[in-house]
Amino acid sequence: MTAPAIRFTDLEKSYNGTHALKGVSLDINDGQFFGLLGPNGAGKTTTINILSGLVLKDKGKAEVFGRDTVNEYRFTRSNIGIAAQELPQDWFFPVEKLLFFQAGYYGLTHKTAEPYIEKLLKRLGLASKRNARLRELSGGMKRRYQLAKALVHDPKIVILDEPTAGVDVEFRHDMWKLFKELHNEGKTILLTTHYIEEAEMLCEDVAIIDEGKIIAQGKPNELTKQSEKSGITIQLTGWNESIHNKFNLYTYTFEDNRLHFTVKDPEESLPEIINILSQNGCHIQNIKTDKITLEDVFLSLTGRGIGEESGT
Amino acid sequence: MNWIGMWTLTKREVGRFFSVYRQTVLPGLITTTLYILIFGFTLEKRISEIEGIPYTLFILPGLMMMNTLTNASSNSSSSMLQMKLLQQLPDILTAPLSSFEISMAYIIGGTVRGFVNGVLVLLLGILLVGMPIVSPIQTLGFLLVVSWAFSSMGLFLGQMADSWDELAMMQNFFLTPLSFLGGIFYSIQMLPDWAQTLSFINPIYYMINGIRFTVLGVSDSPPLVSFLMAVGMTLLFTFSAVLLMKSGKKIKS
Ligand SMILES: Nc1ncnc2c1ncn2[C@@H]1O[C@H](COP(=O)(O)OP(=O)(O)OP(=O)(O)O)[C@@H](O)[C@H]1O
Ligand SMILES: [Mg+2]
Repeated sequence: MTAPAIRFTDLEKSYNGTHALKGVSLDINDGQFFGLLGPNGAGKTTTINILSGLVLKDKGKAEVFGRDTVNEYRFTRSNIGIAAQELPQDWFFPVEKLLFFQAGYYGLTHKTAEPYIEKLLKRLGLASKRNARLRELSGGMKRRYQLAKALVHDPKIVILDEPTAGVDVEFRHDMWKLFKELHNEGKTILLTTHYIEEAEMLCEDVAIIDEGKIIAQGKPNELTKQSEKSGITIQLTGWNESIHNKFNLYTYTFEDNRLHFTVKDPEESLPEIINILSQNGCHIQNIKTDKITLEDVFLSLTGRGIGEESGT
Repeated sequence: MNWIGMWTLTKREVGRFFSVYRQTVLPGLITTTLYILIFGFTLEKRISEIEGIPYTLFILPGLMMMNTLTNASSNSSSSMLQMKLLQQLPDILTAPLSSFEISMAYIIGGTVRGFVNGVLVLLLGILLVGMPIVSPIQTLGFLLVVSWAFSSMGLFLGQMADSWDELAMMQNFFLTPLSFLGGIFYSIQMLPDWAQTLSFINPIYYMINGIRFTVLGVSDSPPLVSFLMAVGMTLLFTFSAVLLMKSGKKIKS
């Protein structure tokens, strides 16, 4: 058995008072497309930053291909490329130059890096922006630069920390295509997101993290099968806050005039839900019962939507 | 050692200040020119020589030293703080670079800026007032050591600081006053006893007199003491900066 690409064992981390990770263990195999899914503040970035050396852990172990990330950081860091959640700024150098710097930090000479950087600029649609400063790039372009920076030393493992946060739908789909290509080329990918759709679309395996603990793990369809529940989505108008009380016994989220319930048996629950809504002056525009999604899995595990803040 | 990595970061550090030379190189030259004009053409007629040296010449080594040490320390401190604030530091901290390699790159960057600024003031002195230099090699050597000392101090302070305000405070309440009180404009023999004694605990007093010795051959402090002070500061701050980087206390969470 070869060692997994990434292995976390009982990671713990507190930031002066905030217990961010409470014993996270995970294995991610070589070549896997893995999704780490969780709401804001769940501990996704903390987990990743422990791997890269940006955050000092309190307890536990992080390994890359069986080697410790603290004692053998040169090896482990050389094998990882990270597209961080937080976008950088720079006032001094153009995009292309920054990529050459980045390659240099990984021990690549200008000459070695040149053909690969050229390819990357083209592949990521940054070729026309090579002489631009970062502040001149749009949000989506900055995300692409962030990805180029992660790939510049052609790492075996690519870590994408909410790589499509704040970009429009079209851009997002382009990025997804790219991620799939990288995966097909044999790269191990660790993606964090709170877009369920993104995880369902891309990931072979997912782990759900909440309040610093892994609460579920498996293939998306296994996770949804395990749960004997279904989802009901209702589009409506006329909602008001007082209706929340009427649904005390249900697990649901409400967002953009869209109610989403996670229930055991839709045939039993649906009439009652419709009843409550119509008695309270809501106009139902559309009802859909669907197979359970990862969103429902999360909802039934934690009692709240994945878009909602952790720890409330 | 990741030599290429360290060299790349060093190039970035040096390239950074050269790309904004209007903020990092020109100001020192302009101020020094102003000092030379003001003292050379007006005040010098009223202030007699000090230790047999015309006043404008007497102050030049001190001005050179002040330029060197402010530039050296502000390069590494502001670069470190800027990288922190602009989210660039993660790129370096997640690369296969050791704390030692990162520290050296920053320190060399600041040393180059301090040294270049010092040498330019030196050339200005030679050009404008024909400043003679008693021992050129020792002058350059001493400038280099002091640049390194203050650049590593800057790296230490840059890691400690969380805002521009804190860095500006170091500069305005510490570095600039100590430079002025270190005897740029006077020999401490002109001071009352108590003020002379106070000067002895000012490290910059030794830097200014050390460079004055190598350039003009006169000094209030014994040259060997100045030299040992500079080397001592170099060691102290290099170790502190590297150890702080290694601990990650102020740059990792
Ligand atoms: N540098 C820090 N100092 C103090 N607390 C921190 C720090 N970084 C993270 N935290 C806290 O640790 C917890 C986990 O944060 P983390 O950034 O890992 O979450 P996340 O899952 O990445 O969230 P998001 O989806 O918002 O990016 C949060 O409660 C957060 O407030
Ligand atoms: Mg995050």
